[in-house]
Amino acid sequence: MKLATIGVGNAGSKVIDRMVEFEQATGRDLCRHTLVINTARTDLAKPEHVPEDRRLLIGETHQKAKGHGVGGDAAIGAEVAQTEIDDIRRIFDDVEIHEVDAILVAAGLGGGTGSGAAPVVIEELQKMYDEPVYGLGMLPGKYEGGRPALNAARSLQSFVNKVDNFIAFDNDAWRSRGQTIEEGYEDMNRELATRIVTLLAAGEVDESEVGENAMDSSDIMRTMEVGGVSSIGYASTGVDTPDDGLLSRFSEEEVSNMESTDAAKIKGLVRRAVNSRLTVPCDVASAERALIIFAGPPSEISRKGVESARDWLEQETETVDVLAGDDPRTDSDTLAAVVLLSNVTDTPRIKEIQDQAVDAQDTIQQQEAVREEEIESLITDDDNDLDPIV
Amino acid sequence: MKLSLFGVGDAGTRLVDKLLQAEVETGRNFTDGNVLAFNTAAEAFGETDTLPEERQILIGDTHSAVNQYVEPDADGPDTDTASATSRDHSPGVAGDPELGAEVADDELPEIRRALDLVDDTEVDAAMVVAGFGGGTGCGVGSVLLEELKSIYEIPVYVLGALPAADESDERAHTAARAVRTFVPLADAVLPVDNDAWARSTQPLTEQYDEINEMVATRMLSLFAAGESDPATVSEMRIDPADVMRTLAVGGLSSIGHASIEVDTSDEGLLARLMQLLGLAEETPDTQTDAATIKRLVRSALNSKLTLPCDIESTDRVLVILSGPPSDISRKGFETGRYLLEEETGTVEVLAGDEPLPNASEITATVLFSNVTDVPRIDELQERAVAYQREQDADTAVIDTATSIEGATAVAADASTAAPDDESDHPFEFHGTEEQQENGDAHGGDTVSPDADASDESTATDTPDGDATDGSAADTSADSDTATEDGDATTAAATSSDEHE
Repeated sequence: MKLATIGVGNAGSKVIDRMVEFEQATGRDLCRHTLVINTARTDLAKPEHVPEDRRLLIGETHQKAKGHGVGGDAAIGAEVAQTEIDDIRRIFDDVEIHEVDAILVAAGLGGGTGSGAAPVVIEELQKMYDEPVYGLGMLPGKYEGGRPALNAARSLQSFVNKVDNFIAFDNDAWRSRGQTIEEGYEDMNRELATRIVTLLAAGEVDESEVGENAMDSSDIMRTMEVGGVSSIGYASTGVDTPDDGLLSRFSEEEVSNMESTDAAKIKGLVRRAVNSRLTVPCDVASAERALIIFAGPPSEISRKGVESARDWLEQETETVDVLAGDDPRTDSDTLAAVVLLSNVTDTPRIKEIQDQAVDAQDTIQQQEAVREEEIESLITDDDNDLDPIV
Repeated sequence: MKLSLFGVGDAGTRLVDKLLQAEVETGRNFTDGNVLAFNTAAEAFGETDTLPEERQILIGDTHSAVNQYVEPDADGPDTDTASATSRDHSPGVAGDPELGAEVADDELPEIRRALDLVDDTEVDAAMVVAGFGGGTGCGVGSVLLEELKSIYEIPVYVLGALPAADESDERAHTAARAVRTFVPLADAVLPVDNDAWARSTQPLTEQYDEINEMVATRMLSLFAAGESDPATVSEMRIDPADVMRTLAVGGLSSIGHASIEVDTSDEGLLARLMQLLGLAEETPDTQTDAATIKRLVRSALNSKLTLPCDIESTDRVLVILSGPPSDISRKGFETGRYLLEEETGTVEVLAGDEPLPNASEITATVLFSNVTDVPRIDELQERAVAYQREQDADTAVIDTATSIEGATAVAADASTAAPDDESDHPFEFHGTEEQQENGDAHGGDTVSPDADASDESTATDTPDGDATDGSAADTSADSDTATEDGDATTAAATSSDEHE
């Protein structure tokens, strides 16, 4: 697939940056256009792989933002994007849309810019183009608090309604001990970028080496067209590079042995992809459609293995709509299986976020209701005897 | 974020000076030189170390009621007004906020000229720094605050110390009224409770410096976070919008602060070097673990706050972790934030970090915005009311009639600030008699120039604002203009709705 990618807000921009990094490192060419949009000038400086002229600062003239972010307020994020929709539209003028198959908009749903501005951007893109617009959203963890949960729960509705498919990523599922603030969400972003790029970059190669089993962009788009929320599973294993003379000499004998184990290996990889951490934990059986892509040297992909892996996933997902195909990467030193579970309807984490959001909204409303009264009562004495000076 | 600072009065001037010193010491340049100090007596100006001379504006020196004479042994107006007898001899406005406001109104052209020295487009917010108990701080401060609110689009905050328990009742009275004045006008008010910070063994005046230093540390940790090296980027960096949004609810705010040392032993450095060279795969042990960060946030939460209060009464919270980013555990950062949410009961908790790669400690600074359960404020109000009643009783015999008529005028005005259910409350006691008395004491014969200046400068002033008789000048119930009786105080009356 060929993509135009747009990162909105800090988290979204970071993921786009990591996607470009990953595709460059693995010789893929997925992101034909990259663009990052932010309300904070300092955050716009962070991406390393997005050209300067593809970074758009919005809200510089907004009274509450002024190029310093929106303070986690999704309403301001949306307002700023709405106000500067012309600037946003203008920056798409450079995008040769006929060169891409789809548009991907990435955003963190807990912050103010991503959750507020991204749905506005998506709405505009849907108006402008016929190509499908996919969303990639990072859900805030429980410990990020009530306000991010509220932002996310509200933004999720806008996202899912407006995009053709929404790929969710749960920060909590990927949280681990030992990460520092400096690293931030780097390793999470890398994990996510690996999954997204491995999935969507399939079918981009139009050269002779494409086999009859190769996955096509249209297959991926067909799987995603059902809409809703999707989750991605991924597993990989190292392989011996065939053109490595020294190694291949040593392993020549083993090759024949490996062939018999290939099928089991492929199936095992898919099982691991589904059972290991999905981007958003979900009940696999609730998926409407599913797709498996094997990315790696074609010699490593056993047809028998692919078939049995597909059968296995059909059973797991209780759907007959499971596609499986290859993304041949002759020079790759890894074999990866990536599984897309499209329109999963049973995702406990989203339910949790919604519950947390409802509580947060109640608290916020209660606070707002008494705010003026409490301040007034604090600053005046009991009988209101004391006068202000001016 | 960038702030412009406006010191008012002795206490305000000293604190601004201290903030500028801290700016130099920490390398966090957050004012960009956008500072001014206003005073009615030149005294505190002589005590400044960092504040440039051309940014110290003396006002009211030509006003007949303002005393520029300084006794050789005088401590200054903010400290010696404790005894009522020294009042006439103390410099400046002698602790009288009405006179302070009047002087400021008279000198608005001068103040406005000075304000041109500060570029509000370069800063994210403005801050008036004033002692809450002083006549200049409160009087001039109130007028300046109104002026800034009317000319600036950026938020205007107020920072200043509340008078201590051993200071005079008059100062407590001024402070209680200052709270009542500043809060509706300012975007947020950050009072500092001197009592909470004073050590009983020393006289308070000797501790001002330490307290100011404590305040400066907290203010810089909060407002100047990230200004030392704007090139360092961090994923969770605090934005000015975060601070502004937290404070946007208004009311009173309080700050907590705590630090821990980080391991800077040789092994730590070596490990860090190894990491830099790509020789070490994992983050070394020097990383402060999640539990330590959470403990640090808890100590900031339980630390002595600038304004002691019930943190459960807070509306919004912001926490900033400053320190080497490679040492701060992200899990600790998240659990620390969640701890604040649980302890304060609010879901509006913003968190960010300030990367200081070479720092030897990690600091947690917590801002509790709009705290509404503040025992110190209640105490001040009780003292103020008692003092006011005492003053009223003293003068009631002299001019009862004036008092009642004046009260009606003020009641009409106060209804805008007071909740509806209190708008019809009879104002039997208020400052009118006192103002009348002050007017007398400071020479009511200076009325003509005052009245002129007032008309020029306060656009929303009522046409009859220059009424000079002792009765109510404006009794219309829908007027927001606080036109008070008394010759000398006419000019002090300015609209209280300008901030809206």
